[in-house]
This record gives sequence, C-alpha cells and structure tokens, in this order.
Amino acid sequence: MEMFWGLFMSALLLGCTYTLVAIGFSMFFGVMDVVVFCCGDIAIFGSFAIMGAYAAMQSAGLFAVLPFWVCVALLIIIGAVFCAALGLMTHLLSIKPFHNSSELMPLLSTIAMGTVIKEILGLLFKPAVNAVSKMVGGPDAMTVVSGRNPQAFPALLMPNGSVLSRNITIILITAVMLLLLFLFLNRTKMGMSMQAISQNKELSRMTGINVSKIVVITFLIGGVMLAISGFLLGSYQKLMSFDDGAMYGAKGFSAAVVGGLRNTWGAVIGGMLLAFVEVFVSGYIPRGTAYSSIVAFVVVVVFIVFRPEGIIGEKSVEKV
Amino acid sequence: MFARSSKRSYLFLSVMLSFCLLLGIGAASAADAVKIGFLGPITGSDASEGAAARNAFMLAISEANKSGEFPYKIEVIEVDDQSTENVAVAGAQEIVSDSAVVVASGFWNSGPAAASIPVFKDAEIPLLIWGAIRESLTNPDNVPYITRSAPTDKQENIPLAVKVLDELGYKDWFIVSDVGSYGDGNFNAFKAELASRGITAKGEEQVPEDTTDLNAVVQKIKASGAKAVYCGSTVAIGSQLKRQLFEAGVRDILFCGISGMKTEDFLKIGAEAAEGALIVSPGVILEDTAEGRKFIELYNAQGYSEPIGAYTPYAYEAALILINSLRACGEKPTAEAMTDAIQKSETTGIMGATTFNSIGQTENVAAYLNVVQDGAWLPLEKSEYQGGKRGFGAK
Repeated sequence: MEMFWGLFMSALLLGCTYTLVAIGFSMFFGVMDVVVFCCGDIAIFGSFAIMGAYAAMQSAGLFAVLPFWVCVALLIIIGAVFCAALGLMTHLLSIKPFHNSSELMPLLSTIAMGTVIKEILGLLFKPAVNAVSKMVGGPDAMTVVSGRNPQAFPALLMPNGSVLSRNITIILITAVMLLLLFLFLNRTKMGMSMQAISQNKELSRMTGINVSKIVVITFLIGGVMLAISGFLLGSYQKLMSFDDGAMYGAKGFSAAVVGGLRNTWGAVIGGMLLAFVEVFVSGYIPRGTAYSSIVAFVVVVVFIVFRPEGIIGEKSVEKV
Repeated sequence: MFARSSKRSYLFLSVMLSFCLLLGIGAASAADAVKIGFLGPITGSDASEGAAARNAFMLAISEANKSGEFPYKIEVIEVDDQSTENVAVAGAQEIVSDSAVVVASGFWNSGPAAASIPVFKDAEIPLLIWGAIRESLTNPDNVPYITRSAPTDKQENIPLAVKVLDELGYKDWFIVSDVGSYGDGNFNAFKAELASRGITAKGEEQVPEDTTDLNAVVQKIKASGAKAVYCGSTVAIGSQLKRQLFEAGVRDILFCGISGMKTEDFLKIGAEAAEGALIVSPGVILEDTAEGRKFIELYNAQGYSEPIGAYTPYAYEAALILINSLRACGEKPTAEAMTDAIQKSETTGIMGATTFNSIGQTENVAAYLNVVQDGAWLPLEKSEYQGGKRGFGAK
C-alpha cells in the first residue's frame, strides 16, 4: 500500500506539470484554432528565466535585503513577464503572419519557434545571465554554466521544509492557478469573451467582441501559465535541461487531446490521466519504465481513433 | 560609357585576383598543416565531461605545436556531437571529407561512436576512441581503423563489482540503467558480475534516455527491499535517481555506479542528496603519480572553466598517442601510415604504457573508486568511507 501511495503522489505531481502545459495548448487552440507546438519550450524558457534572474538577484545581494518570499514572488513575476512576452512574440511571428494560409503553416512555424527558443537558451543563457550578474554584482557575481549544460534549479519552494511539504505546495499552487483561471474565464467579461471566441469566432466578432485584442490577451495569459508551469517543473525536477521543452510539449499536447482540446478542464483530466498511466505502468509492470511513454501514447492514439473530441470535449458537427 | 564599363571590369578583375591570391595563400598554409579530428559532447547533457576532454586534447596538441618538433602545424577540427547519433555522424562526415585529415579521436558516448564508426571505416581514416566504453566498439571487423585507449564497460564494472560484491558483501540489488547503448552495455556487464556470483537482482529497470522523473523506479526500489542500487547510466539519470531516492527517504542504501556519473554536474543535486555515491572511474588517481600531478598542474594553469573529469586524462592520453604516432610517420603522415602507427604504438603517459591488442583495445586497464563526501568527489581510499568512519548503508 505504501508503494501505491508513493506512486499516487508521484503521478499527482507529474500530472500537475503536464496539466499546466496542456492548459496552454487548450487556451491557444480555443481562441486561435491553432496547435501551438512550442508551449513546452515556452515553459522551459520560463524556468530558465527564473534561474537566470535568481543568479542576478543573488549577485545584487537582494536575497540579503528583501524577505525570501518577496524574492521568490519577484522571480515568478520575472519569469511570467518573459513568458508572456514570448507568448506574444509567438503569436506575432509564427501565427499571425499565416492567418490566411493553410492550417499546416502555423503548426510548422510554432515547431520552428520551439527550436529557436531552445537554441536561444542553449547559446545565450550563459553570456546573457553572466553579463547581467557581473553588471549588478561585480567580480563576486554568481555565474551560470552554459545553457546547454544541465542547470540546477534553486530551492525556492519550502527550502527548509520537508519534501512532502514542497510537493503539497506544488499541488496547491496548481489548484490555485486552476481556480483563478476558472474565475477569470467564467466571472470576467474578458474570460467570457475568450470562451465566446472559442465557440464561434465569427459570431463573437459580430456581437462586438474585439477578437484581435482577446487573442493577444490569451497569448499573454497563456505565457504566464506556462511560466508558472516552468517554475513548478523546476521546483519538482531540480535539474533542468534546455531541450526538455519538446518532451513536455508532446506530453502537454497529448494531455490536451485526451481531455478535449478546447476544454480547460479537459486539459486537467488529460494531464492527470497521462501522468497516472505513465507512473503506474512504470511502478507495477516489471521493467515497465521503458514502456511507460509508449503506453501513454497508445492511450492518446486510442482517444484520437475512438473519441477524437476527448474525454469532456463536445463533438463538432459541421453543417453544410 | 565604355570608360566606366572598363573601369568596373578592371575593379572586378582586381577583386577576383586578390581573392585568388588569398586562396593561394590559404592553400599554401594548408599544405603545411596536418589535420586531426576531435569529437565529443562539448555541449548537451554530458558537456561537463566532453568540454573538459576537449580542453585536455587541445592542450596536448598545443604543447606539441609549441615544441617545434614537427615540420608542420597540427590543426584540430573540433566537432561537438551533443551526445547525439545523427549530429556525430554529420561531424564525422565533415572530418573525413577534409583531405588533410589523417586521423581522428573521439567519443564519450557509445551510441554516437557506434553510429560514426562506419564513416571512418569507409573513408579509411583511423579513429582512436578516448571515452566511449561499450565493449563491442572494438572488434575484429573494425580492425585496423578503430582503436580505443579507454577501458570497456566490462573492464570498468569489474573493479566496482569486486568492491561492492566481494569486499562489502551486498547481496540484495536493484539495477537501473537507461536503454541507450551506454546504459545497456553497463546494465548487462553488471548483471553478468552478479550472475557470476550466483546473485539475482531483486529488481531491474531500464528507462528511456530522456527520463527525468524516476519516482516510480524509486517506489519499486523501496518495495523490493533492495539494500544496494547500481546505476549504469550517465549523470542526467544517475543524479536524478540519487536525488529522488534521497527525497523519498531511501537513504540507508548503497548507491553505486559507473564513470558516466562522476562529473561536477552530479554534485548539483546538493551535498546531502549526493552523499555516499560510490562511482568507479577509469585510470589512476592523478594526485598519486608524478605524471598525473604534472597533468593537473598543466591543465589548471590554463584557467579552463571545466574541471578535470573522469575521462579528461584519457582525452589527453589519446592526443599523446596520436602525437607519438605522427612522430613515427615522418614528415608527411598519411591516414594509411597513421593506421599502422597507432596499432604498433607504445605510449607512456599518465596511465602508464598504452599498447593495443589484436582488436585495437588498450591492454592498459586501470580503474579506481570514488565517493561523494560532503559535496565533493574523493578517491574512496582517501575518504572516511574507507576507514569505516562513514558507512554506505545497511546490508
């Protein structure tokens, strides 16, 4: 039974990381009808932005001056700003220019955007962070290693607490993010406009909703969600690699498809389902870890074939 | 109009002439150089090992150039294989397509090495492997082009097995590796050591190479009742496994493994989590020999940002073997002459005298054990674990 609960906790934590990336996919697909394949890379960029800002803030001595939680909040805000800007850039550079092109074009261009983000991290993380750190901290500045090396994510969540308290904090933060997103989507005019666009873009435009503005805001909010996903991922995983984005992107997309690509709650259910399948296959099948991802993707394929609208997605019927 | 056109033609011709002259100068200088290739994971998850190896290799070549002993300059074509097969093959193609290349040395990862070997064999360019340890890389089919100065996975696992199975007496094992070429080789090598002593592991797991969450494996280890964990993988998986074992409260257990984990990156998981990891390393304890101390001094004097890793001395040694072979080839070394010279070479360096057997594998095998103590790597014999002041975990 101890093993079951251990696996249950692992699956829950892994599910949290998949869920937030999956929500990014769902939000972008909902308002733009586009699969933004660089979601995983944006999340990893967020965790690298936090690690870089951490080095610069350490160099500037801010941790000695400000309360620890203020510094952590600042780091998350910095990560969120970077990812929101990156979300916006993704929209402007790799989706908007292909507005009237084939559906394949934004698909390919967001894959290319993911590669660009990854390579920028690999090439520029070290020189950029070290330059800023040295500027604010002088010769004793904290420096980072090449962006292509594994990076140690700083202990920002419950640094003096137990592993269990850190894990519970990760789950709570995910729950709070989901609650805030729910309130935003259902209790604010902007959120409801987003939902309206997701259901029918043309009708939304005719009712006076500024679709372009809502699209931009969606990318900004999606970017923030992905930054927090990167933060939680780093706090859970501790070692981050610049090329983790493709894997998390694939898992997040799969989760969104399983749950229902346009549905935020579908992303949650899909993320959790995928994580539970992976972890329990690894845990209960002898030498199962090697096959866990295969089994998870078989689940995705089964859904695509037998329930393409996802677990809680609605069937779309096109009237001629 | 005509005058303007003539002037333009004149200018164009002048530019072309200058360009040709420059090319001519380039060709002349190329004729005075002998090129060798170097391949390794200079960036990526294994960068700390690959970049340090590149530094050591370049250092040896730079020393040889400075000595003035050779009537030509030795130039190195450096390729970053990023621990990836297709990148390595592209790099190997780049090296063999340069007609001035007479030899190459490369690889820390067995997968990229195995994928690139056919490229070197087809081009008849000799390749000396400095760090990839999968046993099958040197075999009769690869003679005479492929040689290796590093030990094989089997040779590396033997001293570890002797220590943990025969001396420390651990019987309840859980073995973990990745499914890649390196991991699989180590997995089978250690499993064979267990089998030869009549031990069956309580559990075994091979994970995909990009696995970051090993908590399910940790739960399996906990449930199996194993008292010792063997990890035959690289630092990316090994360090995560050790950290997640620590976080899950599995601390009274022996954690041991292979040289792919003995890097500075392993220590990034924190001193407490890394404590007590017992890792086998190829070669000799550098501080204990005059040649080793000289190498440390020379390397550190360069101010490299990458510290000496487990295979850094092997990369240096590989460069010494190539330099020694170039020496044997006279004023105009060729790939053919180098192939023969490497096979017959006997080079005395940090590890002692290196010679090759009939399948191109070094006959000079050395290895020692390291342990993490208070957040730093120490040779086991110089640590508190050796005297029993600290323990590895209940048996």
